Amino acid sequence: MTISRRAFNIGAVNVLGLASQTIVWPALAQSEQIRIGWLGALTGPNSAPSDGFNRGLRYGVDAVNAAGGANGRRIELITRDTQGDPTKAVNATQEMISALKVHAIFGPANSGESLATTPLMARAKMPNLHPCVVNSLIDPTKYPNAFRMGPSNRQWDDAVRNYCLKILKVKKVAVIGDTTGYGVTAVGDSVAAFKTDGADVVYSAQIDATQPDMTPDVLRMKSAGAEAIVAWSTSTGMAARLFNARAASGWDVPFVGHPSLGSGEVGRLIEKAANWEKVYAINYKSCSFDAEGKLPERTQAFLDKAGSKLDLKGTLLWWVLCGVDAVDLFAKAVIESGGVSSEGVIKFLNAQSKYPGLFGDYSWSPTQHNGYPTDEVVMGMANSSRNGALKLAPGYA
Amino acid sequence: MAISENALKPATIASLAPFLAIGVVAVLLPFVGNDYWAVIGTRAAIYWVLVAGLNLIVGFAGQLAIGYVALLTVGAYVTSILAAGTVLPPVPLPLCFAAAAGVGALFGVLVGLPALRLRTFYFAISTLGFATIVTQIALAWRSVTGGGVGLAGPEFPPPFNTAWGFYGLCLGAASFATWISANIAHSRFGRALVAVRDADVAAEANGISKAILLIPIFLLGGAMAAVAGGLFATLQTYITPDAFTFDLSIMFFIAILIGGRGSILGPMIGTIVLTILPEAAAPLASWSTFLYAALLLVIVLAVPGGIADLIDFKNRRAITEERMIVPKPALLPQLFAHRPTPAALTLNGVVLAFGGVRALDGVDIVVRPGEVHGLIGPNGSGKTTALNVISGYYAPQEGEARIGGDPLPAGRPELRAGLGIARTFQRPRLVAAETVLENVMIGGTISGRAGFLATLLSLPGRGRDERELEARATRALQAVGLEALAGVKAGRLQHGEQRFVEIARALMLAPAILMLDEPAAGLSSDEIRRLGELIAEIAKQGVGVLLVEHHADFIFEICRHVTVLDQGRVLAAGTPAEIRSHREVVDAYLGR
Amino acid sequence: MEYASVFSILATGLAMGAIYALVGVTYNTMYSTSRVMSFTAGQLGMLGGVLGSAFVLRLGLPLVVGFALTLACCATIGVVTEIVAVRPVLKSLDQHLYVLSTLALSLMIQQVTAIEWSTEPQPFPRVFGIGSGVWDEKFWLPIAACALVTLFLEWLQKRTLVGRAFLAVAEDNFAAQVLGLPERNLRIAGYALAGAIGGLAGFAGGELMLAFFANGGFLNFYGFVPVALGGLGNNRGSIVGGLALGLFQQAANFWVGGVFASVAVFVVFIVVLLVAPQGLFGPTTARRV
Repeated sequence: MTISRRAFNIGAVNVLGLASQTIVWPALAQSEQIRIGWLGALTGPNSAPSDGFNRGLRYGVDAVNAAGGANGRRIELITRDTQGDPTKAVNATQEMISALKVHAIFGPANSGESLATTPLMARAKMPNLHPCVVNSLIDPTKYPNAFRMGPSNRQWDDAVRNYCLKILKVKKVAVIGDTTGYGVTAVGDSVAAFKTDGADVVYSAQIDATQPDMTPDVLRMKSAGAEAIVAWSTSTGMAARLFNARAASGWDVPFVGHPSLGSGEVGRLIEKAANWEKVYAINYKSCSFDAEGKLPERTQAFLDKAGSKLDLKGTLLWWVLCGVDAVDLFAKAVIESGGVSSEGVIKFLNAQSKYPGLFGDYSWSPTQHNGYPTDEVVMGMANSSRNGALKLAPGYA
Repeated sequence: MAISENALKPATIASLAPFLAIGVVAVLLPFVGNDYWAVIGTRAAIYWVLVAGLNLIVGFAGQLAIGYVALLTVGAYVTSILAAGTVLPPVPLPLCFAAAAGVGALFGVLVGLPALRLRTFYFAISTLGFATIVTQIALAWRSVTGGGVGLAGPEFPPPFNTAWGFYGLCLGAASFATWISANIAHSRFGRALVAVRDADVAAEANGISKAILLIPIFLLGGAMAAVAGGLFATLQTYITPDAFTFDLSIMFFIAILIGGRGSILGPMIGTIVLTILPEAAAPLASWSTFLYAALLLVIVLAVPGGIADLIDFKNRRAITEERMIVPKPALLPQLFAHRPTPAALTLNGVVLAFGGVRALDGVDIVVRPGEVHGLIGPNGSGKTTALNVISGYYAPQEGEARIGGDPLPAGRPELRAGLGIARTFQRPRLVAAETVLENVMIGGTISGRAGFLATLLSLPGRGRDERELEARATRALQAVGLEALAGVKAGRLQHGEQRFVEIARALMLAPAILMLDEPAAGLSSDEIRRLGELIAEIAKQGVGVLLVEHHADFIFEICRHVTVLDQGRVLAAGTPAEIRSHREVVDAYLGR
Repeated sequence: MEYASVFSILATGLAMGAIYALVGVTYNTMYSTSRVMSFTAGQLGMLGGVLGSAFVLRLGLPLVVGFALTLACCATIGVVTEIVAVRPVLKSLDQHLYVLSTLALSLMIQQVTAIEWSTEPQPFPRVFGIGSGVWDEKFWLPIAACALVTLFLEWLQKRTLVGRAFLAVAEDNFAAQVLGLPERNLRIAGYALAGAIGGLAGFAGGELMLAFFANGGFLNFYGFVPVALGGLGNNRGSIVGGLALGLFQQAANFWVGGVFASVAVFVVFIVVLLVAPQGLFGPTTARRV
């Protein structure tokens, strides 16, 4: 039922929000407000990340407005549910640019929709912050308006590979993914990078996520001599089946890979809690508990301040933090550039070096729009999730 | 748009008016809207290019292709791959689209093939499976398609590289699509498609071969969908497999059904509405598929005719209750201006058994040119089965049927019309949703000379065909006495009238042999008398008439020769006088 | 290749095959009383899993109660299919409107499940908790369910009056009406039975397929393949076809990978349809004229 209520709330908040604003500030509303467009896959099969970003964005907007807005101007968040469908995303992007005349856009988060909307936003010189991992989305020449504020696929890949080769110190890996666009691409990139680093990719495959039993694949990886399994899939069902099959074949090979391996949904699908041991999911230093079970100071301070206003149940902390940071960045851009002009906002973003966000320190320059620091990306213990944060995987100094 | 030679008739203008209205709104859009409207308008136009072709398959031919997004995918990838030049050297845009149309046409036939042999549901499922497979292949074939990361759509040169410039291009494509689909729809091909949909048995009897008819339609539908795919790729700027959702496929399909089967205007409105609707109801995004489905259910259950039926005011007017069928046999010679080669129809020892029942058990019949031959017998004696063997629906297990000296190819009903054999059916098989005139014109399908391409592009041949068919159909209707009902939908006629429409349809062939299956059922005595005169006059044109009837008096009055069947055997054969005095016949059936 | 892999492929293949076969039987049961194939067949299989999980895990009902309620709900959905999507279009069977009405209903069921249940697969309860490895209940439950349904249908048709009436209607609808059989009630009963069989397929396969909304569309296709292979209305054909499909699919998954396995299944499906449109086991040709 979570989704319907979520969808309803979004709709209701939109309607109520618009209504109250038009009633309270009828004449000034247009010129006063800073309009941020938010393109998220809020419903449908790939909606978990956008749900997290959404919580962060809403919290961020409320926080800025409660503090008197940016330069006294309130922020309005205009949301469109793309359902992860590139067609809907293109329509919504053009609507935000031409009809709603937003000043900046956050999102989208899924690869297909981001690939389609980024050129549209570039044409309109729309300042765009997004958390999508696809490498090719960042190209300051083609898309001088697009800034990534999360990890790229390459950074994920590096983190996973470094953990396998340098910390787990394995030589032989199996690389698997699901049959979706993301899975196919990620496996290809990952295999190539492992080979470049001199590792032995003993097995690589695309597995249909609906396949009910993963035992044959697990056995094949076992007989190929894999010392670690690298998994690239957003499918929680597939992850759980892999862990169950690993346990059934009496093998304790570590799994390393996609953040979804640590999703709460996986925890509900595994047959025994023990099956989730030795699984390491991508996570970030800012969202990692250290050995004493403490979060980094900046993060903890924020959570203390937010308190009950922020619901972290069933989501990942980094999605929420990223959403909060996005609103803050736009607000700062308006304050510092003195307005909402796209040149001003883009210039502000291009000048950031180690901007202290909650999720990480962002740095952008006119030639570098991958804003997230690589060393922030670390592995976490998949089964250790609390408030959307994971325990740091063993082996990090 | 659909302007043909008869453009000046008031009825034609009236039917063009809604298209013109939509066209005017489309042309004015750039002057009132922003770029967002341009994107939505462009999207509607692109979808229509696909739907206009799919409409011929789903709406006209009744083939339920639910996975047509597969062809949009194929077109989008072919154009994008060729334009990007990642696999081959870059190809100029027009060639990209031409290649996409070619590949799309090929896949259109490939997807369509099962429809030629399989039941509807099988076809629906196989198109659905195909839609899944195409996406899977696009994912897996990374070196060509870019896999999950996809590839950029083709970019158009100025002036088509702006939102409104591209809108103009797509609007042009949509207008062209409307024009060619209307050319097909309002031709012998279009009427044959509808006949295949609603009266497939009658279609075969009129010489319409489903396979020969559907293959060019599948080619066309595939090509149009693929061109739409190329435009779609440009609009999206970037394509990945997840852009081609099954929801999109369902939307195309539902647009046609909401619009109404056998209409062009309806599906066009349906496409526009379904493109705009989700934009207006953005908060309901997650429910959109549910709403589409609910809409489909309501349409199927409550308004099977769709929008087209709702706005068809003409056919709601009452038709005169007091109406009589007054044939004008004097007009027949005009229809038989090219007299058929007189040929006798012969059945020789025909045997046909269903399971253990011998429905026909060695039947001999000879129908000579210019003669009315009666076939009587009790229910289940094999009368209609005999007609069905002659018509080619059943292949006899023994014996043979011949016309003139040539054997009739067994089990090939679609070849009968070409051999000069026409028939009517015991339960009239008309296209209820088309007018009486259009139904009669179906009878002249094989006499059309303009080919598919000439019709598509409305070359002069199509106009000539249409005028000639219409003139002949009008004459045939006058001959059977139904010209007053020419513009009425056939489904609204009484049973008796429908039989006469079938006779008129059969006369369109100027047949050598005409088979009538109980034409007098449900007629008044006056009408029966007039029917008799009409049949006699038809025979005078040199036609051999084979008449199946229950009314013995009627048979004896107009037949020169009568065959009596009983349990699949010939019980008696001879002149009416001989049969009347045949003891067994009298004892068994005439009962006097 | 290791024996363990072979056993695992056999177990999964037969189990999935049994689920496909049961969905095929669902298609057939609906068809036999109405001459209509319904897109809700696969959704019933999906609902068997989702409802089972909802009753037992979410509402915490005892397993037996949850099982009975699941079958009852699925039987009800079967009847709803008959009333909403089949009966109104039966009189114009040759227009094939049933393809559209059942497709619409099927999409509605799937969409409501996606929104009200979850778009992520959810866990399904252990039924007996018996077995491990390739002898785990998740593999043999669907096979057992398939065997039970087969025996039940044989018994119904051979030993009961209702079963024979079913056969009569399936053989010749019109003649059955003339004979005074309550054709409409038989049809409703047929749809209820079909619903329960579909639900059973989903429940028995719940541990294997999980309670996942997308299983509906998946089973619609993979449950229809055995019908096409085995011949429409032929239950034995469907069961053989289903088991063969399951084994073929799992083997293909293993040897050529996920993407090409589905391509392979599709190609086989199309080729069989084109070569033997009536299926491999026995035709039921309809008279047209």
